[in-house]
Amino acid sequence: MTQRYSRWIGLLFGLGLCHALPLPAHAAEQSSKSSSCYAEGLSDQLKCGSVEVAENPKKPNGRKIHIHYVVIPAIKNLAPEEAILGIAGGPGQSAIESAASFERMLSKARQHRDILLIDQRGTGQSNKLACAGEDLTDIIKLNDDAYDSAKETRECKAKLDADVTQYGSEQALGDFEVVRKHLGYQKLHLYGVSYGTRMAQLYMRDYPQVLKTVTLDGVVPMSQSVLAIGGAIARAQELVLEDCEKDPSCQQTYPKLRTEFENVQQSLSEYPVMEKVHHPVSGKTALLTLTRNKFLGSLRLALYSPAVRSLLPFAIHQAYRKNYQPILGLLAMQDGSMDLAMGMHAAVVCGEDWPRLTPALREEAAQSVMGQMMLKAMDESCPIWGIPAVSKAFGAPISSDIPTLLLSGEKDPATPPKWAEMAMQKMTNARHLVSPYATHNVVAQSCGGDLIAKLVETDDVKAIDGECLKKDVRRSFYLNASTVEPLPEEK
Amino acid sequence: MISKTLTLLRKELIDASRDKRSVLAGLYYAIGTPLIMCGLFMVLINQLSSPDDLPIKITNADTAPDLVRYLGQKGINNDTGEQAEKIQLIISDDYAKQMAQGKSAEVIIVADNSEEQLQKSIRRLQLALQNYSMEMGSLRLLARGIDPRVLRPLQVELHDQATQDSKGGMIMGIAIFTMLYSVFISGMNLAIDTSAGERERNSLGLLLSHPVTTGQLVLSKLLAVTAFAMLGLVLILAISHFAYPMVPWPELGFSITITPSFMATVLVIGLPVAMLAASLQLFVSFMAKTFKEAQSYLTMVMFIPLALAMSASYNIAPDVLKWLPVSGQQGALMEVIKGKALPLQELLISSGATLAITLLLALALTRMLRSEKVVFGL
Repeated sequence: MTQRYSRWIGLLFGLGLCHALPLPAHAAEQSSKSSSCYAEGLSDQLKCGSVEVAENPKKPNGRKIHIHYVVIPAIKNLAPEEAILGIAGGPGQSAIESAASFERMLSKARQHRDILLIDQRGTGQSNKLACAGEDLTDIIKLNDDAYDSAKETRECKAKLDADVTQYGSEQALGDFEVVRKHLGYQKLHLYGVSYGTRMAQLYMRDYPQVLKTVTLDGVVPMSQSVLAIGGAIARAQELVLEDCEKDPSCQQTYPKLRTEFENVQQSLSEYPVMEKVHHPVSGKTALLTLTRNKFLGSLRLALYSPAVRSLLPFAIHQAYRKNYQPILGLLAMQDGSMDLAMGMHAAVVCGEDWPRLTPALREEAAQSVMGQMMLKAMDESCPIWGIPAVSKAFGAPISSDIPTLLLSGEKDPATPPKWAEMAMQKMTNARHLVSPYATHNVVAQSCGGDLIAKLVETDDVKAIDGECLKKDVRRSFYLNASTVEPLPEEK
Repeated sequence: MISKTLTLLRKELIDASRDKRSVLAGLYYAIGTPLIMCGLFMVLINQLSSPDDLPIKITNADTAPDLVRYLGQKGINNDTGEQAEKIQLIISDDYAKQMAQGKSAEVIIVADNSEEQLQKSIRRLQLALQNYSMEMGSLRLLARGIDPRVLRPLQVELHDQATQDSKGGMIMGIAIFTMLYSVFISGMNLAIDTSAGERERNSLGLLLSHPVTTGQLVLSKLLAVTAFAMLGLVLILAISHFAYPMVPWPELGFSITITPSFMATVLVIGLPVAMLAASLQLFVSFMAKTFKEAQSYLTMVMFIPLALAMSASYNIAPDVLKWLPVSGQQGALMEVIKGKALPLQELLISSGATLAITLLLALALTRMLRSEKVVFGL
């Protein structure tokens, strides 16, 4: 299982063009000792450290792993016994490597409280379970129809020095508590994004007494399988087509977008394109193989960012006209932009999502091309990983009276707004706000950070005024390779 | 010997408390300075920070709706009215045409950059426009099949070694300066009163006709003035402790808190300075012939510690200053507030020098008071 697989399945977050490539923070190696360090894209001095935990919580004397954390100190700490715990998505993203994005999203709340980021076991610096990734040349060149995910999975599993069955969400939750106690925080405010919302919900289920508030951004309900996002992707794709049809200048520029999109898919599934291109980074001659799946995969990634999303009608139209440069550019975004720890990803998905796929869900997933693709990849690789399935109770909705804010983006290609409604069924003190313009990870694209700051200050979801989410921050579609603004009418 | 000194000290303190008005006048400094400073900073911070929602006037807004919405997301809104007129953004007439051709489209910011209230808002607008430009540039490259990362050959990272406390270093420098300086101001009136004043009231000669040595007399006066100086220091610390946290420092990205442990450190480090202040003021006052003369000399002499502490707090000082009295202590306290270790060596030498000067002045005073010329102001 390689990076390639992650392109199809990873529920990633925080994807923006301006984001820097992740590099590890320079944290201390010693256990239970903190020191100062820096994280990429953040000039502030941070407090870093790690705690030692048993890899298998049931065998406390067995193998040990180190769970690394960083604390982004409050500007003026008014509540030293509280912290805001940011939980990253993926599954498989490193929270510490995303420190700069967490800081941007939570900067208002950081004024008075520390931000705590923990590399969940199996990610980042906490015994990362990584599989060898493909380089961009291969991403462009290889035909995924000929891809042997079983072989890749076996190779990766053999290389990992870990008991992969111990890297699920519930084991990781125990680590979070160890870190909290180690740092002496009495109460936590949770901010979970994407898959991180599952961790946050487990936290609400198992340790409600230490939580003051919870914010779930891009909600994955306990009852849902992250593999069921095929429908969400199809929905988000459809929304692009609809938005373009509703937009006069987009409609005028690409009047037949829908048919063109169908045509490209049709022709690519019959005859994958193979042509010589310039490598997007090195500029050397390279070979591009474009299958329908790769085409859809590149569009899917673009759906995560409102800015890149605005390029899609142009990219589809150009592909229809046999110009694959824009698609090549979108494919290049897959390189490095999602450095998921695939071993950990598998430990979560194969233990918690794959076994819970009911025949009904499978049928639903099979309705979209992306869903079929994911299903196939999981059916091939999960039996090899051999992760024990979680119990039936795992999927029960969370009952809680903790003040909980749920945020969804209308255009989200991974976690549609109705998922948040499912998650809050049994939450008695919860509010769900939908940003009509945001995609995945609402807080990074809206005034969500202000809402979190308000929630953290007041502990009251009713105090939150979600009006600012409605502000029109829509991005116009690209009308050619250079502009989003229509030319004024000739006089 | 000791009991006589104590008796004399009690006499000095009773004298001081009888002349409340003039002596307490010195303490007003300790009470007023932190309050005035905090008030000024509150006003200043409000002026310097950019409002969450920044209204600007955008000309030709309908030419670039995407840009206008992008700015809106950053809290920069197209608006009308007096406030919005202060920063204008003019989008050129051929914006859409230039954009469509893949060229650079011109936008002009019109604002008065010398107006301090606007500077931060102007920078914010510039940054937002730069980011928009960068984002569009990246997407233009993507659309041409090129990875935008090639546009970033350098990845520049800043590892700022400042701590949350040291970021307020400049302001803390001024705060510490006002604290140290309070030991000079607070005891000054008493110093003049107990020396030149006592001589004018002709009670100094009377005092010396008793079986006390000039040494005991000087010591008691020194202690009384020092006590007042320290009282001033305690007052200014106590008031700072409450006043500084009221200022919205986080707007500037740091916080300032005067912790009890820092207050204790200031008191310990400030004691030798208070003694120096007392001896210096007594010495100058006895040198003067009259009360008024003492006042004018002292005002001039006070300029020396002022200059020393000021130059240390603004970091414009040559290195030698950290070994000198007053500036040495000021420097040491600034290191403490920045979360660094106390520079013991420098502090010991400057405090030693402080005490040495105090001793010399005290000895000189003792000798001076043996002369009738000085005692009767002849």
